[in-house]
Amino acid sequence: MRLLRAELAKLNRPLLWGVTLASALFCVLLAVGGSANARMNVTTGAQDQVPSCAVMALPKGPACAKAQALQRARIEQGRAELALAASHTAAQLHPVAAGAEAAGLMASLPGALALALLAGGHAGGEWSGRTMKNLLTQHGRRWRVLAAKLASLWLAGVGLVAACWAALAVAGPILVRANHLADPHQSLATAARWAGSQAARSLLVLAVFAAIGLLAAVLTRNTIGTMATSAGLFVAMLVVAALPASGRWTPATWVQGWMGFAVGERSITALPDNFWSRFINAGGSPPSHLLGLTGLVAALAACALLALATFARSDVAG
Amino acid sequence: MEVIRCQGLTKRYGSTVAVDELDLAVDGGQVFGFLGPNGAGKTTTMRMLLGLVRPTRGQAWVHGRPLPDPGGLARIGAMLEEPAFYPWLSGRRNLEVLALSGPPLPDTGTVDAALNRVGLAAVAGRRVKAYSQGMRQRLGLAAALLRRPALLLLDEPTNGMDPAGMREFRALLGSLVDDGTTVFLSSHLLAEVEQVCDRVAVLHQGRLVEQGRVTELTAARARVRVVLEVADQPSAQTLLAGAGWPLRTDGPDALLVEAADGREVNQALGRGGVWARQLLVERPGLEEAFLHLIDAPIDKATTGEVSDAAAPR
Repeated sequence: MRLLRAELAKLNRPLLWGVTLASALFCVLLAVGGSANARMNVTTGAQDQVPSCAVMALPKGPACAKAQALQRARIEQGRAELALAASHTAAQLHPVAAGAEAAGLMASLPGALALALLAGGHAGGEWSGRTMKNLLTQHGRRWRVLAAKLASLWLAGVGLVAACWAALAVAGPILVRANHLADPHQSLATAARWAGSQAARSLLVLAVFAAIGLLAAVLTRNTIGTMATSAGLFVAMLVVAALPASGRWTPATWVQGWMGFAVGERSITALPDNFWSRFINAGGSPPSHLLGLTGLVAALAACALLALATFARSDVAG
Repeated sequence: MEVIRCQGLTKRYGSTVAVDELDLAVDGGQVFGFLGPNGAGKTTTMRMLLGLVRPTRGQAWVHGRPLPDPGGLARIGAMLEEPAFYPWLSGRRNLEVLALSGPPLPDTGTVDAALNRVGLAAVAGRRVKAYSQGMRQRLGLAAALLRRPALLLLDEPTNGMDPAGMREFRALLGSLVDDGTTVFLSSHLLAEVEQVCDRVAVLHQGRLVEQGRVTELTAARARVRVVLEVADQPSAQTLLAGAGWPLRTDGPDALLVEAADGREVNQALGRGGVWARQLLVERPGLEEAFLHLIDAPIDKATTGEVSDAAAPR
């Protein structure tokens, strides 16, 4: 615990505050865009008119009337879907339910890139700043040093979720009101269950992201190398998952399965709840929660053990 | 009591040998100088003693315990090369973070005591990024002293320190040794080493070339300057060379007799009927002895000899 306290004290730095501010701002800007999209969709849908017989190139009569009735039903259905989507957006921006949005964003590419930056500064920076020798001359048990680094990086990720949640909790109701989005009639319990479930699930994904960042730090032993390598690994995960033959056996699809992200382009909504599954090939069925959980735990263990094996054998020469 | 022991300690980086079969023993309660040119393997040896670098071969013991010994680090303070800190934290916070990284400190005032000891208490609240190199060096020293170590490993500790700082540093070393601390010091400032160290070891290309008391090292390289009449020089040269001493001329009226005793030189000359005008036993400084050991060319100006041609006009 003392080591973890030391790591957290070191995390209190401009890089962390900058990344946190940028993440919160990103979430709020996304919510601004998402709520405006929802309103625009509803407005556009309301303007849809049943086409005349002339527009449909049909003679007036029963055939035209039947076609118009079909069109009317289609328009009504479209309007209902758009209203439902707008209501869903309003539900996403509920102060409590915003936790699900924040968790989804931080457990996908934005959070992964934020953790890559933090891993670069917090872990890789120990080599670049030549402070690793100080640390190891105080505490020679390297596995503990590495565990404290991993835990502190993970807590930084959790902090990012909390910051985004807080930002959305403040901005969300304002945006819903400003865009006249329909009341989703969402109970507090439902909102809490939704947010709690996604936030809890994101904890494992953040731990995997932190472990990947730590592994990159141990392998590259410098700030920029860690940032670039971990960001590259995250992108590579998505690229591999996008390959048609990759199926359900990639870390990216495990994240998708565990977080319950909608498959492929279905995740592109007025207000996206993740930036992950849109990059993944939607051909195959996504892995279940259980497969996602198993895969992510295995990935976490593999990254942590590889980082430890490398770190335990490496010379600290800088 | 032996504080450090190395036996066949070797570190290779690929085909480069950084430390080669180092055998070394350092007794406690002294300042031990660890000397060598750049790249001699001094810092690598210190890193091996701290468990930062794994030896390729050989073994080392600190306080009688074989390395690596993570549990024993609490009894060792270290400052390796230019000290590095977290620039966004204050000097005090840096020490607090280091204190948290290891076993608990004996009492809450330890950080302040360390800062006071190196004269940084007044600026301890300032961020390290605003520190000068000398201040960072002092902070590095404070970090090394944080746990009141029994063994202190210092690598170039006075880099960037002003003369007052160096004087304080000498006094600090004295007080540490009085308290029973062993100091293992590497420095390029040989005049400084000569003043503070009891014993020294000289490392060259990874190998130990000499170790012993500073006075022994310099005494072993004493030489006798013989000043004579110009006409006597050839016969004196024949006499002394015949007695087996290596010698060289230093101008038309002087001879330098290496590794010799003044009385014996005088006797040899007297027996041959040559009388010197002046005999002077010259003991080289540690710097000259060091340069001699590592086969570096000795600048005459550094040995106190000024030839006529090079003398200022």
